Amino acid sequence: MTSYICKDSFEGILCGIYDAWMGKRGHSQVRLEVEGAFEWSLFTEYLSADVSSEKARKVMDAVRQKICEDAFEKIYIASLSNDLDRADKIYRFLIYGFHYGKKVMDMLAVPAVFDLFQICRNVSCEAHKWMEFIRFSETGEGILFSKIGSKNAVLPLLASHFADRLPGETWMIFDENRKQAVIFIPCKGWILCEIDSVMEETIRGWQTDKKGYEELWKIFYKEIAIKERTNPVCQRNHLPLRYREYMTEFH
Amino acid sequence: MVIQQNLTISEKLKILTDAAKYDVACTSSGTDRRGKAGALGNAVEAGICHSFAADGRCISLLKILFTNQCIYDCKYCVNRCSNDMVRTAFTPEEVCRITIEFYRRNYIEGLFLSSGVLYSADYTMEQIYQAVYMLRTSYHFNGYIHIKAIPGASEELIERVGFLADRMSVNLELPTAEGLKRLAPGKTREKILKPMRQIQQGICHQAFLQGQEQKLLYGKSREGFAGGAALFQPGNRGRGFGPKAEDSLVKQGASEYKFLCPEKLRKGRKFVPAGQSTQMIVGATLENDYQMIKVTEALYHSYGLKRVFFSAFIPVNNDSALPALPGGPPLLREHRLYQADWLLRFYGFRADELLTEEHPNFNVFLDPKCDWAIRHLEKFPVEINRADYSMLLRVPGIGVKSARRIIAARRSCPLDFLALKKLGVVLKRACYFIMCSGKMQEGIRLNQDFITSSLIGEEQRRSWDISHRNAYRQLSLFDDMNLEVMPSRADIHAAAGGDF
Repeated sequence: MTSYICKDSFEGILCGIYDAWMGKRGHSQVRLEVEGAFEWSLFTEYLSADVSSEKARKVMDAVRQKICEDAFEKIYIASLSNDLDRADKIYRFLIYGFHYGKKVMDMLAVPAVFDLFQICRNVSCEAHKWMEFIRFSETGEGILFSKIGSKNAVLPLLASHFADRLPGETWMIFDENRKQAVIFIPCKGWILCEIDSVMEETIRGWQTDKKGYEELWKIFYKEIAIKERTNPVCQRNHLPLRYREYMTEFH
Repeated sequence: MVIQQNLTISEKLKILTDAAKYDVACTSSGTDRRGKAGALGNAVEAGICHSFAADGRCISLLKILFTNQCIYDCKYCVNRCSNDMVRTAFTPEEVCRITIEFYRRNYIEGLFLSSGVLYSADYTMEQIYQAVYMLRTSYHFNGYIHIKAIPGASEELIERVGFLADRMSVNLELPTAEGLKRLAPGKTREKILKPMRQIQQGICHQAFLQGQEQKLLYGKSREGFAGGAALFQPGNRGRGFGPKAEDSLVKQGASEYKFLCPEKLRKGRKFVPAGQSTQMIVGATLENDYQMIKVTEALYHSYGLKRVFFSAFIPVNNDSALPALPGGPPLLREHRLYQADWLLRFYGFRADELLTEEHPNFNVFLDPKCDWAIRHLEKFPVEINRADYSMLLRVPGIGVKSARRIIAARRSCPLDFLALKKLGVVLKRACYFIMCSGKMQEGIRLNQDFITSSLIGEEQRRSWDISHRNAYRQLSLFDDMNLEVMPSRADIHAAAGGDF
């Protein structure tokens, strides 16, 4: 058995796929692991996959041409997942993908395809939940600031949504689990950046004033519920508890 | 009536939110609009919920009344003029500011503005128009706006609002004219239906002007049933099945209707792009489910509505004309009506298939789809690997998504039960009605009594939860749902026939 260890990024995983494929050791003889998230095992040769944009580009082009755009989007979303086997699952999906072409997108009955779709769904669902539940608060300088704690790396998916929605605002979404942030500046677009501990300290110290609208929102939130229909189970199904610590109305 | 002018904004918000909360239509779906430079906001086709209130209902829009003053005395309404309560009104400026600031903070998807009738319908509509006009032009708000049309307001005003809003709605409130007469003395059915017809014709005319008569009416690439709902056969794109909106009405609206408001107000805008909706109160009058669902179907067909909402009646006033509801609001009934509504819009069912004059109410123990399937066992079992899309949709446990996936997946290989599970089919309901490659699941008998008693256990637990929301149930080894006497064979038989 040979394990290819890839860097934890979309590009890294693509390079791992390239190496594993071109190594020609047989699909059943290779595994892909993501750096820092696997267990060492006996009788396995470990090779690390170097990142090069050329290798990544080759895999990307192959997926787009031989399978379809949709499949490319799927593997990108899957790479954002926190599933420990994400790299391997993408690899297994591509084996079928390169064999069947576009048709693979309908073959949910195949375990490899099903697994990939499942982790994709997991990431997309979480991203959608954050789109719903992110709460911005305004800092003194007029910057809209929001803190989230996500399981999957959903920031890139959120960024494009909010860039379209709030094109005239300066805003920032900080993911405290991954120490990453998306920063958007009008007319310039968004960037994803790492936040170190010094910067994190600064961010946490930001004062968000204009309490006025936050209070109004809490009033609205409380009043809109109909007492006779109170239903906490339904509420919890739609709005799981783990999101609530980041939401203004539950503070 | 005490009119308070000098309340703070938070007091106003409190009063006018409280007064608006009984309106149920709070979706933000139907329009897909990209953001644009210099403006705030966009709209997403499927809509986005931003929070869930303690009652489990989604909060998508800032749902407020413009004013809770009203000249009408509808018996079911919390804002009727005979109620003694604090009355107030927002100014257009205040509505805009709250909407914008909430939207920036991602609290809401847009504005849902309704109103009591102050002085006259025209005056109220004019005020609402001022607010949305200001929001769209001075504040450059590009998000979702849902406006209630006030019955009795002039056609031109309704039209002006229609060019600024995404969705409009007129509440039918009660399904029959008699019910309306009894509970809402100031309103008549004709008065309510008039703006509804106007909006429908406006939407058709807009589509006609843009040369997309069919496309726009039935939504993008999913022509189908009931005013634009998604029902199309995969692989047969563009050709829907099931009854469609009545052609003559559509054509008449398309060519004969003329917009009244000046060209420059219409430029670059669409008339009610997300369509119109309505709502009916469930359980305030004596109408049965059959009447409700027939009216719903008629609204979809001849008025091209996007949605019909149901709201379980909540007694907010004490009045001899209103029913006393000791068991709380009729939530289970509301739930069954919504299930049936989905069957009408997405599954190609007709109202007459679900209920008849003889069986005018929904089965308490079974959802409408299971109920239908059990009464039509001659159509089952369905062969998964061969059945057409419309038949797959009729199998309990198979929804629109899983039916589409089945059609796509079975092209590459024959499907078995394990594969179906992966495609998202709810096997615990579907297993009684399907076979894969000629075989049914082991131990299943195609027999009314057997299927009913197997399905009832699961469904009973759910319907019990709906009608006893906050009660606790004694933990028990048997699923008897506090029944003191076990249901007899005759009871199960009756449930299967829909006699409960």
